Amino acid sequence: MVEIRIHGRGGQGGVTLAKLIATSRFLQGRSVQAFGLYAAERSGAPVQAFCRFDDEPITNRNLIYEPDHVVVLDPTLVALGITGGLKPGGWILLNTEESPASFAQEFRGHRVATVDATAIARGHGLGTRSVPIVNTALSGAVARILEIPLEEMLAGLAHLGFGGANVASATDAWNAVVTAEILAPPTEPSSDGARTPAPAFRGPSFVSGAGGDLPGIRTGQWASEQPGRQQYVPPCNDVCPAGNDVQGFLHALAEDRVDDGLEILLRTSPFPSVCGRVCPAPCMAECNRIQLDGAVNVRQLERLAGDEGKVELVPAEARPERVAVVGSGPAGLTAAYHLGLYGYGVTVYEAAPQVGGLLRSGIPDFRLPPEVLEREVDRIRSLDVEFITGSPVDRIRLLDLARAHDAVLVATGLQELRGLQLGVGGSDVVMQGIDFLDRVKRNEVTLNGEDVVVVGGGNTAMDAARSALRLGAATVRVVYRRTRTEMPAIEEEIVEALEEGVVIDFLTQPLSLEAEAQADGDGSVHGLRCRRMELGDPDATGRRRPVEIPGSDFDVRCTRVILALGQSPDLSVFPEGTEVREGEALLGLLETPLYAVGDLATNDGTVAAAIGSGRRAAMHIHQTLTGEVVPQGERTRVRSDVDQWNDEVIRSGALRMHLFERHPVDMGESIGMDRRATTFDEIHAGLPDAGEARRCLSCGVCNECDLCVTYCPEGVLKREGHRLVFDYAYCKGCGICVTECPRNVVFMSHL
Amino acid sequence: MPVEVVTGNHAAGYALSVAGEANRTARGAACGIYPITPQTEIVERIAAFPFTKGRVVAVESEHSAMGVSMGASLAGARAFTASSSNGLAYMVENIMTAGFYRLPIVMVAVNRTLGPPWNIWADQSDTLMLRDFPWIQLYCSDNQEVTDTTLLAFRLAEDHRVLLPVLVCMDAFIVSHTQGETDLPEQADVDRYLPDLDLPHRLTHDDPRTLGGLIWPDVTTSLRLETHEAMGRVPAVFEECRSAFQDVFGRDPGGMMDTLEVEDAEEILIASATVATTAAEVVKRARAEGRKVGLVKMRMFRPFPEEALRRACASARRVGVLDRDYAAGLGGVWWQDVRAAFQGHRDDVVIQDYLVGIGGGDVTPGLIEDVLEDLRGRERAGPPVWTGIATEKEVMV
Repeated sequence: MVEIRIHGRGGQGGVTLAKLIATSRFLQGRSVQAFGLYAAERSGAPVQAFCRFDDEPITNRNLIYEPDHVVVLDPTLVALGITGGLKPGGWILLNTEESPASFAQEFRGHRVATVDATAIARGHGLGTRSVPIVNTALSGAVARILEIPLEEMLAGLAHLGFGGANVASATDAWNAVVTAEILAPPTEPSSDGARTPAPAFRGPSFVSGAGGDLPGIRTGQWASEQPGRQQYVPPCNDVCPAGNDVQGFLHALAEDRVDDGLEILLRTSPFPSVCGRVCPAPCMAECNRIQLDGAVNVRQLERLAGDEGKVELVPAEARPERVAVVGSGPAGLTAAYHLGLYGYGVTVYEAAPQVGGLLRSGIPDFRLPPEVLEREVDRIRSLDVEFITGSPVDRIRLLDLARAHDAVLVATGLQELRGLQLGVGGSDVVMQGIDFLDRVKRNEVTLNGEDVVVVGGGNTAMDAARSALRLGAATVRVVYRRTRTEMPAIEEEIVEALEEGVVIDFLTQPLSLEAEAQADGDGSVHGLRCRRMELGDPDATGRRRPVEIPGSDFDVRCTRVILALGQSPDLSVFPEGTEVREGEALLGLLETPLYAVGDLATNDGTVAAAIGSGRRAAMHIHQTLTGEVVPQGERTRVRSDVDQWNDEVIRSGALRMHLFERHPVDMGESIGMDRRATTFDEIHAGLPDAGEARRCLSCGVCNECDLCVTYCPEGVLKREGHRLVFDYAYCKGCGICVTECPRNVVFMSHL
Repeated sequence: MPVEVVTGNHAAGYALSVAGEANRTARGAACGIYPITPQTEIVERIAAFPFTKGRVVAVESEHSAMGVSMGASLAGARAFTASSSNGLAYMVENIMTAGFYRLPIVMVAVNRTLGPPWNIWADQSDTLMLRDFPWIQLYCSDNQEVTDTTLLAFRLAEDHRVLLPVLVCMDAFIVSHTQGETDLPEQADVDRYLPDLDLPHRLTHDDPRTLGGLIWPDVTTSLRLETHEAMGRVPAVFEECRSAFQDVFGRDPGGMMDTLEVEDAEEILIASATVATTAAEVVKRARAEGRKVGLVKMRMFRPFPEEALRRACASARRVGVLDRDYAAGLGGVWWQDVRAAFQGHRDDVVIQDYLVGIGGGDVTPGLIEDVLEDLRGRERAGPPVWTGIATEKEVMV
């Protein structure tokens, strides 16, 4: 009986080699066995195959422990030990490019042969380059060392259907085998043959855990999918021009953590109380809750946070650089605020006697009481920010400031007011809305019994009209050349103006101011000649262009005309040779970085946009002066401890809306119409509490509702602090946590 | 078909297929198939066989695989299938039903350890759990035995004096996946050996009905007795089938049991399947040393050939039963039946149980030598001796 043990790696064809040898012997009338040592082995794992042949029928059915010869398909297996039980004088056939002599010492007492079956198999294109199939080559080598005629081995190959390259490969190997002189066995007596009885041994227990672990398959290993936590961008956060973390502050308010809510807002904006009153709130327009029962009243919640929250600002360590800010409107103040938080010394130059810009002069008290603005300005003042008022800056002074500072930021807003030629221009009857509102603020205007016409459709027009009513005007009409849909004013302002008695003439274009017969002899009554319009094709802004209707002229009686047609930037303050790029950075001949921010740069016209612009400019300056990269948006899109971050904005279609309960929006209280008609008292009283914040769906952001934890049938999901912890060792991947997550935070990924 | 070097699975798949094909002039072949390691190659071969008449139906479970084979058998087809281990456990209800229906189905079972925990290697506990059902059970030790016993099984099962299903068993991997020279008979010879199946209680369109309606205890008892009598006729019919096999194929397929050196043996080992052929090596060696030892290699487990066994062991003072199986609370299954066979006939014999190769452990000549050594020293039987717990040294429990 000849017994051969073959060492190989899964996929190399060791069992087939055993079968090739066996078949060649079988064809010569021998009794044969060829078998593998089967287990759950994967490709590449060390495996063994065996071959027996004998002249007598073989009845032995055990493995081969004391082989006559050993064949090694992969030379790296030598290190694992391949000589166990090998009979003295037996062959060790190695598939290697090395010479057998280099192994002779290691394998004293055995005959060593080598053949580069890998190269031979590759040469004949057997298998792949990385996994050549070496078994047919080795069959030739085995034949050579066992003195089996090559033809007999090739007959075995042919019998099993191997031809062509395999036959060539076997033949090459037969020719290529190199053998070494056998060295005398080591002088030390071999321990082979002396059977050492192993100590009695008991395996691991099935029940007690004694004796080690049995191979268990934890439920987590059943899973083909695994849950994780992801985060999307809520639409409110995405759209906020100031860059506020809207979802974040609402979450804090929902948990009655008003101070935390304010702290979140103050990361981006110094004006929560202001924006909580005057912001057009694009976040509310985009709110996914509209699909359910109305947008979350974010504006009023921001006001609540700003008015009621208490936060101690903690600026960074003071830095040596100084920055000048020209203009103290919302953009300039926001830049000053953030620069102050970064630790810069900031000086704000304001032409007007008081800081605040349009916040102070352009928004009537009934929308923004001056003490609210004052409070938020004071917060900025608490940083290392100096205000110099009554200090206009022109081109010459700007160059001086540039020399004296490490950076200069210009936020002078929109100083150029758009006019309208009405024929009698310059008349006392016609005034600019911005000027009107400023004079109203300074108690310089009365309009008792007057008929006021306001031209325009923006917030200035609404503010002017509503102020005029409060100042005793008999009638207030707004003429606007498009329809209500196109009006740029905040919707709430339009509603409130109409409530208060303002009349709006849509699709109306003023043409000229005509002197009228004087009813009261003071010569101040006029007729404003207007023409009816209709909407034509869309213009560059996407709004439909108003087109005149010929012959539709009519007169509107008026004693005063207020123009609120918008403003444009005045760039004359900048030195020649500078240019505005990307709306913000102003690059020129100066060494000092110079920035234009706010309406001056963006012409956006909202406080929120001015805040965003100011903040970005501050980050820009900080980055320029320190080289420290401040990633855009990093401070608002706070990355929770999630497994997957999605930059997409999540819309209601991606939420499980049926899991949310309906709850009506809390609009808050307003003062009575009698006070609204006659006083400049703030008309909104704010929200009674932060309960409205609990309406926030927290779209795509975990708000720790823990429905997933509640419904996990395996109990493998738990909350540890703010973290959601999945025990993947036991999670079967059923996905119930995903279907129970209303806000698309829990997701499944394939394993 | 010439002699080929094939695996046990190959041999079984071939034998089942040509046996089925031999019924093409009658109602054809039928096989419900469902894979399970290590028998999957068998049903793959069956599925690939170009049957002239019949149907191979891939189903969703072992239970249904037997269901298909039962239905086809009742309709007159030569029906067969293959399974293993827990697959057999899942099939049990229909295995039992096929027996009570007296259907001449042949199933090849590759003996694999029952789980959990999972283990794919050889152990006979799976088929031995079916010992109380009306199935003939035959255990094979090499590829040739698998081939020949499978063919013989059809002739035995279909004999009108028997009409019982047959399990043909082989050890996982040690036979199922081991290549060895095997004479695979030609179809023409198989056709001669296996005439068309004639099932007396075959269902026909002339008399549509179900089998197995409610019966009374007396009828039940009568049917059990009828089964018992059929089982009792199996040894004699087996010998007839063996003889006919020799006539057709020119070789002896082996008996219900084969003996080695038992004539004057004082110690006799009783073993089955591959443990028996490895034991044969040891017995031959011991005889060469002048020791009076013998071997009974069991092929038939059901019906248990008591009489033949007692005859074979007439000279024995000690009997060692090698069980590659375990019946909870008892010990080896073979051991139970050997004890029962001797009970009241030869109460002077020491009948000792050795649990070897459980869960697929390698049964080496050395281990069997240790068993013989232990047996020789015994004056009376003790509890089963466990061997093979991570070492070849036995552990007394």
